[in-house]
Amino acid sequence: MSRSYSKPIAFGLLGSISLIGLYLGIVRVGSASWPHTVDLLVTDWYLVAAVATGFGIQMGLFTHLRQVLRQNGGVRSATAMAAGGTATSTTSMVACCLHHLAEVLPIIGLSGAAVFFTTYKVPVILFGLATNGLGIGIMLRAIRRHTRAVRTSPRPSPRVSPQGGTPMLPAIGYEVGRETLQLHISGMSCASCVSSIEGAVGNLPGVARVTVTLTAGTASVEYYPGTVTPAQIKKTIRDLGYEAAERLDGAAALDREREARQREITRQGRWMLVAWPLGFLVMLGTFQAMWILPRFVPEVLGNRLVLFALTTPIVFGPGLQFFVNSYRGLRLGVADMNLLYATGIGAAYLIAIINTFWPDAGFGGPQATFYEAAALLTAFIILGRYLEALTRGRASEAIRKLMSLQPKIARVVRDEAEIEIPADEVEVDDLVLVRPGERIPVDGVVLDGYSAVDQSMLTGESMPVEKRAGDEVIGGTMNKTGAFRFRATRVGRETALAQIIKLVEDAQASKAPIQKLADLVAGKFIFWVHVLALAVFLFWFFLGYDVFFSPQTRLMLTPYTLAGVGVFGFALLISVAVLVISCPCAVGMATPSAMMAGTGKAAEHGILFKGADAVEAASRLTAIIFDKTGTLTRGEPAVTDIVPAPGGDVAGLLGLAASAEVNSEHPLGEAIVRGARERGLAVGPPESFEAVPGRGVIARSAGRDVLLGNRKLMADRAVAIDAITGEAERLEGEGKTVMFLAVDGRPAGLIAVADTLKPNSIQAVGLLRRFGLEVAMLTGDNRRTAEAIARQLGIDQVLAEVLPQDKASEVQRLQGAGHRVAMVGDGINDAPALAQADVGMAIGSGTDIAKESGHVVLVKDDLRDVVTTIEVARATMRKVKQNLFWAFVYNAVTIPVAAGLLYTRTYLVVSPEMAAFLMAISSLTVTLNTTLLKRFVPTLRLRPEPKPAGGALAPVAGGQS
Amino acid sequence: MNAGLIGTILALAAAVIFAAAASGSTPVARYGGAAWVFILMWIILMPMLAPWLRRRRMREP
Repeated sequence: MSRSYSKPIAFGLLGSISLIGLYLGIVRVGSASWPHTVDLLVTDWYLVAAVATGFGIQMGLFTHLRQVLRQNGGVRSATAMAAGGTATSTTSMVACCLHHLAEVLPIIGLSGAAVFFTTYKVPVILFGLATNGLGIGIMLRAIRRHTRAVRTSPRPSPRVSPQGGTPMLPAIGYEVGRETLQLHISGMSCASCVSSIEGAVGNLPGVARVTVTLTAGTASVEYYPGTVTPAQIKKTIRDLGYEAAERLDGAAALDREREARQREITRQGRWMLVAWPLGFLVMLGTFQAMWILPRFVPEVLGNRLVLFALTTPIVFGPGLQFFVNSYRGLRLGVADMNLLYATGIGAAYLIAIINTFWPDAGFGGPQATFYEAAALLTAFIILGRYLEALTRGRASEAIRKLMSLQPKIARVVRDEAEIEIPADEVEVDDLVLVRPGERIPVDGVVLDGYSAVDQSMLTGESMPVEKRAGDEVIGGTMNKTGAFRFRATRVGRETALAQIIKLVEDAQASKAPIQKLADLVAGKFIFWVHVLALAVFLFWFFLGYDVFFSPQTRLMLTPYTLAGVGVFGFALLISVAVLVISCPCAVGMATPSAMMAGTGKAAEHGILFKGADAVEAASRLTAIIFDKTGTLTRGEPAVTDIVPAPGGDVAGLLGLAASAEVNSEHPLGEAIVRGARERGLAVGPPESFEAVPGRGVIARSAGRDVLLGNRKLMADRAVAIDAITGEAERLEGEGKTVMFLAVDGRPAGLIAVADTLKPNSIQAVGLLRRFGLEVAMLTGDNRRTAEAIARQLGIDQVLAEVLPQDKASEVQRLQGAGHRVAMVGDGINDAPALAQADVGMAIGSGTDIAKESGHVVLVKDDLRDVVTTIEVARATMRKVKQNLFWAFVYNAVTIPVAAGLLYTRTYLVVSPEMAAFLMAISSLTVTLNTTLLKRFVPTLRLRPEPKPAGGALAPVAGGQS
Repeated sequence: MNAGLIGTILALAAAVIFAAAASGSTPVARYGGAAWVFILMWIILMPMLAPWLRRRRMREP
């Protein structure tokens, strides 16, 4: 037997046996004994056998279908069909089991059900067998179709798209170019809208991929031109009831987004003006006879016809949008939140009308008109929409702030005249003038003038940065004190600000892995809620009402007693409450709203996440690897120690050495000259100079013969350095390069040079260790130097002598040990390692953001931003988890309550308006919780900056006297 | 045949089965319940049928 069939057969047998077990278990519960149970089984063995066999066949087919799909790329529709088949099959099983229970239900007091299943034994059996057969048929068809599709494909094709033939083309050796359409969408209110649009657009022929982001209000559609047009895509979205327009850049996008949001706020605000006053009157009318209200509220307001007249404009005014949108959605095969609202409002309104005009119909009679349910339900939903429109605008505040930095006007010199032109018309190499208090229009290099520029909005640097000739300036930053002229180097979409905006937009439009789960839940939610509402209705209609209904029944938080309500009214009320209370809005908003706030917060500090997945990955890091040179250290040697021979002095020693090296082009010589100048020493030219390759220099300066070099130079010239060799060895042990100085043939001392640590490196590493991260350092340097640097930083794990091409494999090695690794590097040399890491952080990119690799770009050259990155990511993910927790808890608690789980104890039914109120509260909880992220302040902002650590920044140390 | 029609037929079938099963109830409960079952079934079926039919149509030569 083929191995590929063994698993389906095993699962099929397991399914049959499980079902027989289930049958026996259920029947045994209600029967007197096991012998009685077996008697029942023997009596109806043919039925049990048919059902169990059918179920087994279905299980086997389903398993086989999954195998086929998994091996060949998968077809979503076929999986859905198979799942549907299994669902119908399972329904048939339950139906058949219930039929059997007809004989035992009276034993446990369920006589109503017993009567039902005995009376309708034949339809129940037929229904069970029919659905079983249907399920088998569906799956056989799916398997046949997929097998045929695979046979016609010459080689394993990529995921076969349901949209049509285009994806088959790669299989026969051709590629079709895709295009991407970026859209701005308004009118979305929750995750089900995302799911609706993704479903409807995704089903269009020629659409390869569609990603909709709720909080950003954007959609990115990849499509095959020629098969589908942008106009068709936009029309499909508009048919669903949303506004779709192609995304613009910069200020135009800002204006359009603001206009669209304002329109939505105005529209819902206007409907609130209708819904709330009328809803309030309906509520007063409903409660007219209660408490002290009879003294203030005229009796006529409680008249059912008046209530009908007041409620109707609400349902067909503000409420009409839900009916229209749900109809449009259903036409395209999409069930969204509008449908829940429409069914909820429609059902409450319908019951009210029936109880008004046909009071004896069995819906609770004239005393239970529910007008206030329809009215307040509409009012609460409109309020929710209004609040969402307001808060969604606030969520994208970071981008708006960045966009508002773009100046509209630039002052340039053209034809020797100073003119003002729109900032987006500045060209590369234009000469631009900036006065105090003005924003710099584009990126460039200062030609003349001097000023201090506030770059805090882009880089997070708190202090203004001095700018003089030769310095780079960034467009969008604020010129503070002086005036200067600069040459434009990057304009339009190339400027740092435009790149930052794009990066933040892309990050906010992307989806984190955790969001995909939430979207999946929210997207399928509406469908399953309707299935649940139907199941709840059928249960309470056929079984629950007869068994559990009590005349004490009341609607929660309303004056109604439901003593007179009939079976239909009761089951319908509970079914409607389930529909209304099951709002996936909070689930859908939980992740994107927190991601938007988190990435925006990070951007304020000059930290640019390239996607929401980077935020999630950064929050889960366990190890962090720093590239040494240029990341932890400055990447250029500097004088660290000056040790004069007994009787000598530091300044004299350094002055002589600098003078000898002033004409040198060797990096160590340059470091000594720079060190002398930094200490305010005048460095004059030597009278003579000779470089000795591999040894050092021989010079004559200030009338003295100077030798500066290594031991070999000293040995060649017979200079005895024994007195200072011990000190030299100590410094070399710290990874420093030591140069001996001899003056007039006698040892004068030594100078140590080393790559020095960047400011804040020690503080950043210390904090990361405190966060529980394993910190490692990666370098191509020799182990002794690397370990010396690591000791200063407090890093235990040193990966030394690693060739540039092997850096990625070192990252991989740590990942193999189970770590989630971040790599911090300069973004260009370390590109493979940054790409290999779970999170690659490119540090110190400055304005050249587009060139950077890695998942996170740190604009400033400040290691403390690595700490802030992890803090922001953790805070964001904490918020995401809190939001998801509240959203899921809300649904997990409220849905069973609405379905009547507690009814048998409390005799309370959730009213539709109560359900609407709870639904609004859940969305509000998530939104408010997210806004708390705005108060997040990184630890390093709360602490004063430490003074430079001795080993890292001290210009001279060791034997300095 | 379009999704709306198929959905309507299937939902009607479900409503008829409901009405048959609820023959012991009052006419309001029986037919009102059948109407509610029809609405919910139609809502449940449409999102399944519309994409399914569209894909099926796309595959036909």
